[in-house]
Amino acid sequence: MTASVDFDQGAFVRALLDPELPTPNGLEARRGLQPERRFAVYRNNVCVGLVDALAERFPVCRQLVGDEFFRAMARCYVRDLLPRTPMLFDYGNDFADFVSSFEPAREVPYLADVAQLEYAVGQSYHAENAAPLSMDALRALPFDRLAGATAELHPSTHVVASQYPIVSIWRRHMSDDDAAQLELDHGEEALVVRPHLTINVTALPVGGSAFVRALERGEAFGQAVDAASGLTPEFDLTACLQALFLAEAFLAVNVSH
Amino acid sequence: MSDKKLRAAFAIAGAFAAACSLAETAQAAKSEEKCFGVSLKGKNDCAAGPGTSCAGTSKTDYQGGAWKYVPKGTCTSIVTPKGKGSLEPIAD
Repeated sequence: MTASVDFDQGAFVRALLDPELPTPNGLEARRGLQPERRFAVYRNNVCVGLVDALAERFPVCRQLVGDEFFRAMARCYVRDLLPRTPMLFDYGNDFADFVSSFEPAREVPYLADVAQLEYAVGQSYHAENAAPLSMDALRALPFDRLAGATAELHPSTHVVASQYPIVSIWRRHMSDDDAAQLELDHGEEALVVRPHLTINVTALPVGGSAFVRALERGEAFGQAVDAASGLTPEFDLTACLQALFLAEAFLAVNVSH
Repeated sequence: MSDKKLRAAFAIAGAFAAACSLAETAQAAKSEEKCFGVSLKGKNDCAAGPGTSCAGTSKTDYQGGAWKYVPKGTCTSIVTPKGKGSLEPIAD
Protein backbone atom coordinates (compact mmCIF):
# COMPACT_ATOMS: atom_id res chain seq x y z
CA MET A 1 0.00 0.00 0.00
CA THR A 2 1.31 3.45 -0.81
CA ALA A 3 0.70 5.82 2.06
CA SER A 4 -0.85 9.10 1.06
CA VAL A 5 0.46 12.31 2.57
CA ASP A 6 -2.14 12.55 5.32
CA PHE A 7 -1.89 8.87 6.32
CA ASP A 8 -1.71 8.69 10.11
CA GLN A 9 -0.28 5.38 11.30
CA GLY A 10 -1.28 5.99 14.93
CA ALA A 11 -4.90 6.57 13.96
CA PHE A 12 -4.77 3.46 11.78
CA VAL A 13 -3.64 1.29 14.70
CA ARG A 14 -6.22 2.81 17.07
CA ALA A 15 -9.00 2.19 14.57
CA LEU A 16 -7.72 -1.35 14.12
CA LEU A 17 -8.38 -2.06 17.79
CA ASP A 18 -11.59 -0.13 18.32
CA PRO A 19 -14.52 -0.76 15.95
CA GLU A 20 -16.24 2.34 17.38
CA LEU A 21 -13.65 4.63 15.82
CA PRO A 22 -14.12 5.87 12.27
CA THR A 23 -12.24 4.24 9.41
CA PRO A 24 -8.80 5.90 9.18
CA ASN A 25 -8.23 8.51 6.50
CA GLY A 26 -6.25 7.81 3.40
CA LEU A 27 -7.57 4.32 2.62
CA GLU A 28 -8.56 3.45 -0.89
CA ALA A 29 -10.25 0.34 -2.21
CA ARG A 30 -10.11 -0.94 -5.75
CA ARG A 31 -12.95 -1.42 -8.19
CA GLY A 32 -15.41 0.70 -6.29
CA LEU A 33 -15.30 -1.41 -3.10
CA GLN A 34 -15.96 0.53 0.05
CA PRO A 35 -12.81 1.16 2.14
CA GLU A 36 -14.91 0.98 5.34
CA ARG A 37 -16.03 -2.55 4.56
CA ARG A 38 -12.56 -3.68 3.53
CA PHE A 39 -11.05 -2.19 6.67
CA ALA A 40 -13.62 -3.96 8.84
CA VAL A 41 -12.61 -7.29 7.27
CA TYR A 42 -8.94 -6.53 7.89
CA ARG A 43 -9.63 -5.48 11.50
CA ASN A 44 -11.45 -8.73 12.10
CA ASN A 45 -8.66 -10.82 10.56
CA VAL A 46 -6.01 -9.17 12.71
CA CYS A 47 -7.98 -9.82 15.87
CA VAL A 48 -8.97 -13.39 15.01
CA GLY A 49 -5.41 -14.22 13.96
CA LEU A 50 -3.98 -13.06 17.27
CA VAL A 51 -6.74 -14.72 19.30
CA ASP A 52 -6.06 -17.98 17.40
CA ALA A 53 -2.35 -17.65 18.19
CA LEU A 54 -3.13 -17.28 21.90
CA ALA A 55 -5.57 -20.20 21.80
CA GLU A 56 -2.82 -22.40 20.30
CA ARG A 57 -0.25 -21.17 22.77
CA PHE A 58 -2.41 -21.61 25.89
CA PRO A 59 -4.33 -24.86 25.23
CA VAL A 60 -4.73 -25.79 28.90
CA CYS A 61 -6.02 -22.33 29.89
CA ARG A 62 -8.48 -22.66 27.03
CA GLN A 63 -9.70 -25.99 28.38
CA LEU A 64 -9.92 -24.63 31.92
CA VAL A 65 -12.30 -21.80 31.07
CA GLY A 66 -13.85 -23.10 27.86
CA ASP A 67 -13.37 -21.91 24.32
CA GLU A 68 -15.93 -19.10 24.41
CA PHE A 69 -14.62 -17.54 27.61
CA PHE A 70 -11.03 -17.93 26.49
CA ARG A 71 -11.60 -16.23 23.15
CA ALA A 72 -13.49 -13.34 24.76
CA MET A 73 -10.67 -12.88 27.26
CA ALA A 74 -8.06 -13.13 24.50
CA ARG A 75 -9.90 -10.46 22.48
CA CYS A 76 -9.60 -8.09 25.45
CA TYR A 77 -5.90 -8.87 25.67
CA VAL A 78 -5.38 -8.28 21.95
CA ARG A 79 -7.19 -4.97 22.24
CA ASP A 80 -4.90 -3.93 25.10
CA LEU A 81 -1.63 -5.31 23.79
CA LEU A 82 -0.61 -5.82 20.21
CA PRO A 83 2.52 -7.89 19.50
CA ARG A 84 5.72 -5.97 20.25
CA THR A 85 7.87 -8.01 17.90
CA PRO A 86 7.16 -9.59 14.52
CA MET A 87 7.80 -13.03 16.10
CA LEU A 88 4.46 -14.50 17.03
CA PHE A 89 6.05 -17.01 19.41
CA ASP A 90 6.91 -14.08 21.68
CA TYR A 91 3.31 -12.94 21.77
CA GLY A 92 1.62 -13.54 25.10
CA ASN A 93 4.66 -12.83 27.30
CA ASP A 94 2.47 -10.80 29.66
CA PHE A 95 -0.72 -12.79 29.09
CA ALA A 96 -0.39 -14.30 32.60
CA ASP A 97 -0.24 -10.79 34.13
CA PHE A 98 -3.27 -9.82 32.11
CA VAL A 99 -5.16 -12.91 33.23
CA SER A 100 -4.35 -12.27 36.89
CA SER A 101 -5.95 -8.82 36.68
CA PHE A 102 -8.85 -9.93 34.46
CA GLU A 103 -11.82 -9.65 36.80
CA PRO A 104 -14.10 -12.31 35.18
CA ALA A 105 -11.30 -14.92 35.51
CA ARG A 106 -11.11 -14.55 39.30
CA GLU A 107 -13.16 -17.71 39.78
CA VAL A 108 -10.28 -19.77 38.38
CA PRO A 109 -7.55 -18.53 40.70
CA TYR A 110 -4.82 -20.72 39.21
CA LEU A 111 -5.48 -19.65 35.62
CA ALA A 112 -2.75 -16.99 35.55
CA ASP A 113 -0.13 -19.39 36.89
CA VAL A 114 -1.11 -22.05 34.36
CA ALA A 115 -0.80 -19.37 31.66
CA GLN A 116 2.69 -18.59 32.92
CA LEU A 117 3.59 -22.29 32.75
CA GLU A 118 2.22 -22.59 29.22
CA TYR A 119 4.16 -19.53 28.12
CA ALA A 120 7.32 -21.09 29.62
CA VAL A 121 6.59 -24.29 27.67
CA GLY A 122 6.40 -22.28 24.44
CA GLN A 123 9.61 -20.40 25.19
CA SER A 124 11.33 -23.66 26.05
CA TYR A 125 10.21 -25.13 22.74
CA HIS A 126 11.75 -22.24 20.81
CA ALA A 127 14.95 -22.02 22.91
CA GLU A 128 18.34 -22.68 21.42
CA ASN A 129 19.39 -26.32 21.06
CA ALA A 130 22.26 -27.50 23.24
CA ALA A 131 23.62 -30.83 24.43
CA PRO A 132 23.02 -31.27 28.19
CA LEU A 133 25.50 -32.93 30.56
CA SER A 134 25.12 -36.70 30.55
CA MET A 135 24.72 -38.74 33.72
CA ASP A 136 28.28 -39.97 33.21
CA ALA A 137 29.58 -36.40 33.07
CA LEU A 138 27.67 -35.51 36.24
CA ARG A 139 29.01 -38.63 37.96
CA ALA A 140 32.56 -37.58 37.06
CA LEU A 141 32.32 -34.16 38.81
CA PRO A 142 34.54 -33.60 41.87
CA PHE A 143 31.66 -33.74 44.36
CA ASP A 144 33.70 -32.43 47.29
CA ARG A 145 34.46 -29.18 45.46
CA LEU A 146 30.97 -28.35 44.24
CA ALA A 147 29.95 -25.94 47.02
CA GLY A 148 31.93 -23.21 45.26
CA ALA A 149 31.09 -24.35 41.74
CA THR A 150 28.65 -22.57 39.44
CA ALA A 151 26.32 -24.13 36.93
CA GLU A 152 25.20 -23.31 33.45
CA LEU A 153 21.66 -24.45 32.84
CA HIS A 154 20.19 -25.55 29.55
CA PRO A 155 18.90 -22.51 27.61
CA SER A 156 15.42 -24.01 27.52
CA THR A 157 15.18 -24.12 31.33
CA HIS A 158 12.31 -22.27 33.02
CA VAL A 159 10.82 -22.44 36.50
CA VAL A 160 7.33 -21.34 37.52
CA ALA A 161 6.33 -21.43 41.19
CA SER A 162 2.67 -21.36 42.17
CA GLN A 163 0.57 -21.75 45.29
CA TYR A 164 -1.56 -24.09 43.18
CA PRO A 165 -0.63 -27.54 41.79
CA ILE A 166 -0.01 -26.20 38.29
CA VAL A 167 2.03 -29.19 37.08
CA SER A 168 -0.75 -31.63 38.05
CA ILE A 169 -3.36 -29.35 36.46
CA TRP A 170 -1.31 -29.00 33.27
CA ARG A 171 -0.64 -32.75 33.02
CA ARG A 172 -4.25 -33.62 33.61
CA HIS A 173 -5.33 -31.44 30.71
CA MET A 174 -2.60 -32.56 28.36
CA SER A 175 -3.59 -36.21 28.63
CA ASP A 176 -6.78 -38.24 28.48
CA ASP A 177 -6.52 -39.16 32.14
CA ASP A 178 -9.72 -38.65 34.03
CA ALA A 179 -8.19 -39.16 37.42
CA ALA A 180 -9.86 -38.32 40.71
CA GLN A 181 -10.56 -34.73 41.74
CA LEU A 182 -7.43 -32.63 42.05
CA GLU A 183 -6.66 -31.29 45.49
CA LEU A 184 -5.90 -27.58 45.22
CA ASP A 185 -4.56 -27.24 48.75
CA HIS A 186 -0.87 -27.32 47.84
CA GLY A 187 1.45 -25.45 45.53
CA GLU A 188 3.83 -26.81 42.94
CA GLU A 189 7.04 -25.50 41.42
CA ALA A 190 7.28 -26.37 37.76
CA LEU A 191 10.51 -27.10 35.94
CA VAL A 192 10.37 -26.86 32.15
CA VAL A 193 13.32 -28.11 30.08
CA ARG A 194 13.67 -29.22 26.47
CA PRO A 195 17.09 -30.92 26.43
CA HIS A 196 16.45 -32.67 23.11
CA LEU A 197 13.24 -32.59 21.05
CA THR A 198 10.79 -33.25 23.85
CA ILE A 199 9.66 -30.74 26.45
CA ASN A 200 9.82 -32.06 30.02
CA VAL A 201 7.48 -30.50 32.56
CA THR A 202 8.09 -31.77 36.08
CA ALA A 203 7.45 -30.62 39.62
CA LEU A 204 10.48 -29.64 41.70
CA PRO A 205 10.48 -30.17 45.46
CA VAL A 206 9.62 -27.03 47.46
CA GLY A 207 12.37 -24.44 47.25
CA GLY A 208 13.53 -25.89 43.93
CA SER A 209 12.59 -22.83 41.90
CA ALA A 210 14.56 -20.56 44.25
CA PHE A 211 17.52 -22.94 43.88
CA VAL A 212 17.32 -22.85 40.08
CA ARG A 213 16.92 -19.06 39.99
CA ALA A 214 20.00 -18.65 42.20
CA LEU A 215 22.01 -20.88 39.86
CA GLU A 216 20.72 -18.86 36.91
CA ARG A 217 21.98 -15.69 38.62
CA GLY A 218 25.43 -17.27 38.65
CA GLU A 219 25.50 -18.12 42.35
CA ALA A 220 27.56 -21.11 43.44
CA PHE A 221 25.83 -24.32 44.61
CA GLY A 222 26.55 -23.43 48.26
CA GLN A 223 24.84 -20.04 47.93
CA ALA A 224 21.98 -21.50 45.92
CA VAL A 225 21.31 -24.06 48.68
CA ASP A 226 21.31 -21.21 51.23
CA ALA A 227 18.89 -19.23 49.05
CA ALA A 228 16.50 -22.18 48.74
CA SER A 229 16.64 -23.33 52.37
CA GLY A 230 16.40 -19.72 53.55
CA LEU A 231 12.97 -19.52 51.93
CA THR A 232 11.89 -23.09 52.67
CA PRO A 233 13.75 -24.80 55.54
CA GLU A 234 12.50 -28.21 54.36
CA PHE A 235 14.30 -27.82 51.01
CA ASP A 236 15.51 -31.26 49.89
CA LEU A 237 18.70 -30.81 47.86
CA THR A 238 18.99 -34.47 46.86
CA ALA A 239 15.43 -34.61 45.52
CA CYS A 240 15.91 -31.30 43.73
CA LEU A 241 19.16 -32.40 42.06
CA GLN A 242 17.57 -35.70 41.08
CA ALA A 243 14.73 -33.85 39.33
CA LEU A 244 17.22 -31.55 37.57
CA PHE A 245 19.37 -34.52 36.49
CA LEU A 246 16.38 -36.44 35.15
CA ALA A 247 15.18 -33.38 33.26
CA GLU A 248 18.72 -32.97 31.86
CA ALA A 249 18.78 -29.34 32.93
CA PHE A 250 22.55 -28.98 33.36
CA LEU A 251 24.66 -27.77 30.48
CA ALA A 252 27.94 -27.33 32.36
CA VAL A 253 29.30 -27.19 35.90
CA ASN A 254 32.28 -24.92 36.43
CA VAL A 255 34.50 -25.94 39.32
CA SER A 256 36.87 -23.20 40.46
CA HIS A 257 40.51 -23.98 41.13
CA MET B 1 37.68 -23.66 55.67
CA SER B 2 35.32 -23.05 58.56
CA ASP B 3 33.33 -25.84 60.18
CA LYS B 4 30.10 -24.52 58.75
CA LYS B 5 31.51 -24.32 55.24
CA LEU B 6 32.97 -27.79 55.54
CA ARG B 7 29.62 -29.21 56.62
CA ALA B 8 27.91 -27.46 53.68
CA ALA B 9 30.48 -28.87 51.26
CA PHE B 10 29.92 -32.38 52.66
CA ALA B 11 26.16 -32.00 52.41
CA ILE B 12 26.40 -30.91 48.78
CA ALA B 13 28.82 -33.70 47.88
CA GLY B 14 26.52 -36.25 49.52
CA ALA B 15 23.43 -34.88 47.81
CA PHE B 16 25.12 -34.96 44.40
CA ALA B 17 26.24 -38.55 44.82
CA ALA B 18 22.82 -39.66 46.06
CA ALA B 19 20.99 -37.75 43.31
CA CYS B 20 23.19 -39.34 40.63
CA SER B 21 22.32 -42.82 41.85
CA LEU B 22 18.62 -42.03 42.20
CA ALA B 23 18.45 -40.44 38.76
CA GLU B 24 20.24 -43.42 37.16
CA THR B 25 17.83 -45.85 38.82
CA ALA B 26 14.83 -43.80 37.75
CA GLN B 27 16.12 -43.57 34.18
CA ALA B 28 16.62 -47.33 33.99
CA ALA B 29 13.10 -47.93 35.25
CA LYS B 30 11.45 -45.52 32.84
CA SER B 31 8.54 -47.51 31.59
CA GLU B 32 6.95 -45.36 28.93
CA GLU B 33 7.35 -45.27 25.20
CA LYS B 34 6.31 -42.74 22.59
CA CYS B 35 3.43 -44.09 20.54
CA PHE B 36 2.47 -42.48 17.23
CA GLY B 37 -1.02 -42.35 15.78
CA VAL B 38 -3.00 -43.09 18.93
CA SER B 39 -3.73 -39.69 20.48
CA LEU B 40 -7.02 -37.89 20.19
CA LYS B 41 -7.14 -34.43 18.66
CA GLY B 42 -5.40 -31.94 20.95
CA LYS B 43 -4.36 -34.65 23.40
CA ASN B 44 -0.93 -35.52 22.03
CA ASP B 45 2.12 -35.31 24.28
CA CYS B 46 4.19 -33.86 21.46
CA ALA B 47 5.23 -33.72 17.80
CA ALA B 48 1.99 -32.67 16.17
CA GLY B 49 3.81 -31.44 13.10
CA PRO B 50 5.57 -28.43 11.66
CA GLY B 51 4.50 -25.01 12.82
CA THR B 52 2.69 -26.10 15.96
CA SER B 53 3.66 -25.46 19.54
CA CYS B 54 3.76 -29.20 20.01
CA ALA B 55 2.00 -30.83 22.94
CA GLY B 56 -1.78 -30.63 22.78
CA THR B 57 -1.87 -29.26 19.28
CA SER B 58 -2.65 -32.22 17.02
CA LYS B 59 -5.45 -31.29 14.63
CA THR B 60 -7.17 -34.61 14.11
CA ASP B 61 -7.78 -37.78 16.07
CA TYR B 62 -5.06 -40.44 15.67
CA GLN B 63 -2.78 -38.06 13.72
CA GLY B 64 0.20 -40.15 12.54
CA GLY B 65 2.86 -37.54 13.34
CA ALA B 66 1.62 -36.95 16.89
CA TRP B 67 2.65 -39.16 19.76
CA LYS B 68 1.57 -39.87 23.26
CA TYR B 69 3.29 -41.64 26.13
CA VAL B 70 1.93 -45.11 26.76
CA PRO B 71 3.19 -47.91 29.03
CA LYS B 72 6.18 -49.67 27.50
CA GLY B 73 5.32 -52.60 25.26
CA THR B 74 1.70 -51.61 24.70
CA CYS B 75 2.01 -49.19 21.76
CA THR B 76 1.81 -51.50 18.77
CA SER B 77 -1.10 -53.42 20.25
CA ILE B 78 -3.27 -50.30 20.50
CA VAL B 79 -5.93 -50.43 17.79
CA THR B 80 -7.56 -47.19 16.65
CA PRO B 81 -10.17 -46.62 13.94
CA LYS B 82 -7.22 -45.57 11.74
CA GLY B 83 -5.03 -48.59 12.42
CA LYS B 84 -2.47 -49.64 15.01
CA GLY B 85 -0.15 -47.53 17.12
CA SER B 86 3.41 -47.22 15.88
CA LEU B 87 6.78 -46.55 17.49
CA GLU B 88 7.72 -44.52 14.37
CA PRO B 89 5.80 -41.58 12.89
CA ILE B 90 3.08 -42.69 10.49
CA ALA B 91 2.60 -40.74 7.25
CA ASP B 92 -0.93 -39.28 7.36
